[in-house]
Amino acid sequence: MLVDLPGGWSPLLGRLAWSQIPYANPILAPLFVAVVIGAIAIIGLITYYGKWTYLWKEWLTTVDHKKLGVMYIIIGLVMLFRGFIDGLMIRTQQVWAVGPHSSGVFGSLHGYLTPFHFGQVYSAHGLIMILLAATPLLVGFMNIIVPIQVGARDMAYPYLNALGLWITAAAAALIMISLFVGDFAHNGWFEYAPIFEMQYSPGVGVDYWIWTLQLVALGTTLGGINILATIIKMRAPGMTWGKLPIFVWASLSANVIALTSFPALQIALALVAADRYLGAHFFTAGMGGNLMLYTNLFWIWGHPEVYFVILPAFGMMSEIFPTFSEKPLFGYITMVLASMAIAGVSWLVWLHHFFTMGAGPYVNSAFSVATMLVGIPTGVKVFNWAFTMYRGRLTFNAAMLWAIGALFLLLIGGLTGMMLAIPAINYMVHNSVFVVAHFHSMLLVIVYAIFGSVLYWFPKVFGFKLDEFWAKTMFWLFSAGTALVFVPMYMLGFMGMTRRLEYVFNTGWQPYLDVMELGIVVYTLSVLAFFILLYVSVRDHAKNRVGADAWGTSRSLEWLTHSPVPFYNFAVLPHINERDEVAWRRQHGIDNVRPEHYEDIHMPNNTGVAIIMGGLTFVLGFALTWRIWWLCLVSLLAIIGLMIIRSFRGDPGYIITGAELQRMEEEAYRREAQIADSHHSHPVSGGVVGNAMAYQRNDSSK
Amino acid sequence: MDLNWRNWLKKGWRAAALAPVLLLGGCAHNPFWIFDPKGVMAKTDLFYMIVDVLIMGAIVGLTALLVVWFMWRYQKGKNRGMYDPHWSHSNTIEVFVWGIPIIAVGFLSYFAVRGTFEINPYNPTVITHHMKPNGDPVEVDVIATDWQWLFVYPQYHMAVANELVLPVHTPVFFRLTSSAVTTTFFIPQLVGMIDVMPGMRTKNALLSDHAGEYQGIASDYAGAGTSWMTFKTKMVDKADFAQWVQKVQQAPGSMTYASFNRFAEPFINVNHHLVYFSSVEPGLFDHVMTEVMRGKTWPIPPMMTENMVDYMKKQAAEHRD
Amino acid sequence: MSSHASTVDPKKAELWDTHHHSHDVISTRTLGYFLYLLSDGMLFATLFAAYGVLSYQHSYFGGPTPAEFVKPWYTFAQTIALFLSVLAYGFGMNALKHKNKSGLINGMLAAFVLGVVFLVLDIRDMSHLYSMGITLASSGGMSAFMVLTQVHATHIFFGLIWILVMIAQVMTKGFTEETVGRLLTLRMFWHLQAVIWVFVYIFVYLWGYIS
Ligand code: HEO
Ligand code: HEM
Ligand SMILES: [Cu+2]
Repeated sequence: MLVDLPGGWSPLLGRLAWSQIPYANPILAPLFVAVVIGAIAIIGLITYYGKWTYLWKEWLTTVDHKKLGVMYIIIGLVMLFRGFIDGLMIRTQQVWAVGPHSSGVFGSLHGYLTPFHFGQVYSAHGLIMILLAATPLLVGFMNIIVPIQVGARDMAYPYLNALGLWITAAAAALIMISLFVGDFAHNGWFEYAPIFEMQYSPGVGVDYWIWTLQLVALGTTLGGINILATIIKMRAPGMTWGKLPIFVWASLSANVIALTSFPALQIALALVAADRYLGAHFFTAGMGGNLMLYTNLFWIWGHPEVYFVILPAFGMMSEIFPTFSEKPLFGYITMVLASMAIAGVSWLVWLHHFFTMGAGPYVNSAFSVATMLVGIPTGVKVFNWAFTMYRGRLTFNAAMLWAIGALFLLLIGGLTGMMLAIPAINYMVHNSVFVVAHFHSMLLVIVYAIFGSVLYWFPKVFGFKLDEFWAKTMFWLFSAGTALVFVPMYMLGFMGMTRRLEYVFNTGWQPYLDVMELGIVVYTLSVLAFFILLYVSVRDHAKNRVGADAWGTSRSLEWLTHSPVPFYNFAVLPHINERDEVAWRRQHGIDNVRPEHYEDIHMPNNTGVAIIMGGLTFVLGFALTWRIWWLCLVSLLAIIGLMIIRSFRGDPGYIITGAELQRMEEEAYRREAQIADSHHSHPVSGGVVGNAMAYQRNDSSK
Repeated sequence: MDLNWRNWLKKGWRAAALAPVLLLGGCAHNPFWIFDPKGVMAKTDLFYMIVDVLIMGAIVGLTALLVVWFMWRYQKGKNRGMYDPHWSHSNTIEVFVWGIPIIAVGFLSYFAVRGTFEINPYNPTVITHHMKPNGDPVEVDVIATDWQWLFVYPQYHMAVANELVLPVHTPVFFRLTSSAVTTTFFIPQLVGMIDVMPGMRTKNALLSDHAGEYQGIASDYAGAGTSWMTFKTKMVDKADFAQWVQKVQQAPGSMTYASFNRFAEPFINVNHHLVYFSSVEPGLFDHVMTEVMRGKTWPIPPMMTENMVDYMKKQAAEHRD
Repeated sequence: MSSHASTVDPKKAELWDTHHHSHDVISTRTLGYFLYLLSDGMLFATLFAAYGVLSYQHSYFGGPTPAEFVKPWYTFAQTIALFLSVLAYGFGMNALKHKNKSGLINGMLAAFVLGVVFLVLDIRDMSHLYSMGITLASSGGMSAFMVLTQVHATHIFFGLIWILVMIAQVMTKGFTEETVGRLLTLRMFWHLQAVIWVFVYIFVYLWGYIS
């Protein structure tokens, strides 16, 4: 029943063979050497400083939602960097391969990438950026912020949380290894039927794509369940639904989307796998298959997915604007309603991604109108942010600049989205770089909101602020890059340039491509500025230490506890009286009132099971990709066995006594007082990066 | 459709769109294909684009100005505007905040629905409502392969690969299918996109009054050869068209299903070669479609174009047309 | 109006949770599991949609259609087995209320055996089809038929493993918060699979048989 494979297969190694390793590729081989050297250097450094036990005990086995969140964000940033390099490669190919007289190197006719490789680059770029950069970054922030904002000590299911992280890490590892072992899919981030069938994509690229996405879907579903349960069940006393911080609402609406839409993707992928592995005929053109079914299933997930990533970003903006306008968010209730409306309508519009597939005018116009309806709640959000600034006292620090940049990008992306939503316009610009420019405007809204949030919440997690000067430098460079890349792209869209061209047949487009290449250079500078920002901030961290309320004007609950947040979040859970609890306490001068006495609290133990599970899912994904059946079986059995063993062992957790808590809290208050006294004149010791959760707990686990 | 203000709008928009181009060097040819339509379908598309951009642009533009104004007025330390630390709700504003987008979406929906019917590729009323009873439209059967276009003219029993020649002032009706994967048929200045799918038939139509040469594109990614899967579209006078038909009908090649079977094998059309087929097996279009539905495929060799230069050599050695 | 039309007097307000309330572990766990089952339900909904699209005459492409090989009584036997299994599980859970360990284990064992009967019937059915040359590679329609029914069977398979694990846990650990919580979630899982089977039986087997 298994399909005939083009090329060899052996029971031991499946499709894997030496010829699958691109050791002769002039781009990949040096990159591989660099990666190996880098890995050896990192391993060497960790060994040299003797940090392995620290790494294992404090990070790799942790179930602390903040550390897991930080690791999510690190994965996201690494993948954002990888995706950026891909973007740079795409742009460089297109600026080079223009017209029949352009030169070619490395075996390609034009430019430096053959069609086969170019396809892999943009497919990996799209998939990585949306699912392994934006999603982990947002999930990371939700992980860190949501439990603190609802006044909980951890997520509802700490172990599950760790599992979600390591499965996401496995997905990232799988797509990264496709660089050096075999090849990645080359038909775009969403693939299409029937081009992903064995006849048209005989390599393992599509298989890598299937299992990477499948792992991401699994990880995101687990994370979504956790966040929803945390919000529903773990709220501090007094936190009614009407007092829920707005970012929590945003996370709620986003994860409702995730939980209900990812299954559609999982099924779509499973059916593609059935076609490719078992010879089924779900999406083939012949034998009773239906290729339009794939398109529908994919976008039934794919469209809600883009709102899954934008809603948390909206939530972040809704936190940043009030803090730096020194005013409550305008129209809290309509803001919540708008989030829910976006989540709801996001289900009814998927067909707008294929108006050109030949559905009748009734269907097309129904979906067109449904699509435009999303503009209403989104508009409400934009207006509410504007009126949050109205009669405010605005501070334009770097975090606020990113949020404002996001707002303007949203306007541009919204304008162009509304153009695409009308079939009569869509027929002209569908599949063109105009669409690419539209969705980059929108997806950059997310990137802007994320960088804003990095600046905004960094002091909460690490206890010191990032450097303002370099943060602003990065912002302006990044924005210049955005303008230089995406304005010409919109113009090229009006010139009829279609997307995914690895050879550009019209020499008239050259000047615009040149400007975009310049934009990429500016983007690269902004990436440099980001590294400098990190370096400078860590170097000067002692000068920039902050107390609980890092900005002095913040409003929601996370600012009530210390910075950096202790591993138990709140020694005594707060009782919530008002929607903007911290602002309210500050206003009435009771923000420094401490709890009177401390009681014992119960915390979960660390566990190494989650990371081992992550490793096993990676092995499973790899074995499935290469059709190494024995390895599939072994890793699957190991996963099931481990689950059973863990369910027998359980986790009793451990107790921190009230006295211990009191000691740690007093130390924290002392440190905060010191920061307040020092007026930044002399550095304060304690709490550096890595040692982020400065409070070492006495390890009673294991 | 014949309202005056439409033309007026179009002129204004075109002037605005052209302005930057003229500044850039003032070439006579407008590279903004979408703003320079030469066919009825594309023109209608442009009209709706203008309407949409005007409505949305007004709202989005004003919103942007409002935000900029607030940013200027309420900057901390400048004391330009009043600070009200508790103000966070106003029923009047809520009404506008919801009302304006609702009304705007209402307007846009009207145009969206109307436009969808006007250029419905299966029955575009902008073309069919103005057709003379004896307008003898030209029919073209389009078959996309990996990675060439075969245009069959069933009325003339002939076919052309990779070039489309059509008479002006004449409605043209397309039937489209693909032998391999899904791609999209697109001639930016004449007609919008329609997907071309294996084992299925889609339709499209165009009508143009402007002779000239226009770029045709395979606008959905179909594999390694997509970037070169372009075709020139020539709109010519009726007389020239008749002459051209005669020329093709004298060409040596002929197209049967057997020769199609060879034609449809993966071929990257780097040199944009054209082939004329003076005769075509009747019903070729349906024949291809049924074969594909029965499961016929033209598979891609593994790792195709891993090395493009080598691949092109191989392809040249095969001497295929 | 402002959101800070303070209703709470800051001087008297309660600022810290003095009642030391703790979260109910079992209900939190059940909620999470319910959410998971929601996504599992969506999974099946998508599969049913795919099946709906691929169950037209032309989807079978001249090959075998369910009408030719479905034996409604055979599948009805499967239905009965699964329902009895759910019922047995229910009796077991009733025993749990009375802290009756052996009653629970007996109920679970019965549920397990009946589940195995279901699965064996299914496997027999599939190998019979295979021997007639009907596989999921026969046509798009058959792909949808096979995948939908076998995804359900896979759920049953994992449910059976889980039942075994729970029998072992109850035997070794007794009724702890953990085991009781798991017994409750397992019940939700088992019920949902039975409900989904009803849909499979009606829409795939019966409807396929009739049309
Ligand atoms: C985060 C991501 C994101 C977001 C938020 C959006 C938001 C929107 N999108 Fe976009 N999109 C996103 C990401 C994508 N879109 C795509 C493709 C895509 C397509 C198909 C294009 C094609 O392939 O032919 C359409 C029709 C839209 C429409 C819209 C609309 C109407 C909105 C609306 O939500 C915008 C709402 C915002 C507005 C309107 C501005 C603010 C409102 C104001 C100021 C009030 C006034 C408003 C009115 C009067 C309505 N999108 C693709 C393509 C994938 C691919 O092909 O690879 C991606 C990735
Ligand atoms: C940082 C700057 C970025 C640059 C310069 C960039 C550049 C590009 C380019 C050149 C393309 C291909 C266009 C084409 O098909 O012709 C592309 C595609 C794409 N990009 Fe980006 N990008 C950037 C950031 C992002 C981000 C942040 C995201 C998502 C969060 C993203 C998501 C995508 C997607 C989904 C595609 C489509 C891939 C496909 O066609 O399959 N990009 N990008
Ligand atoms: Cu969409």
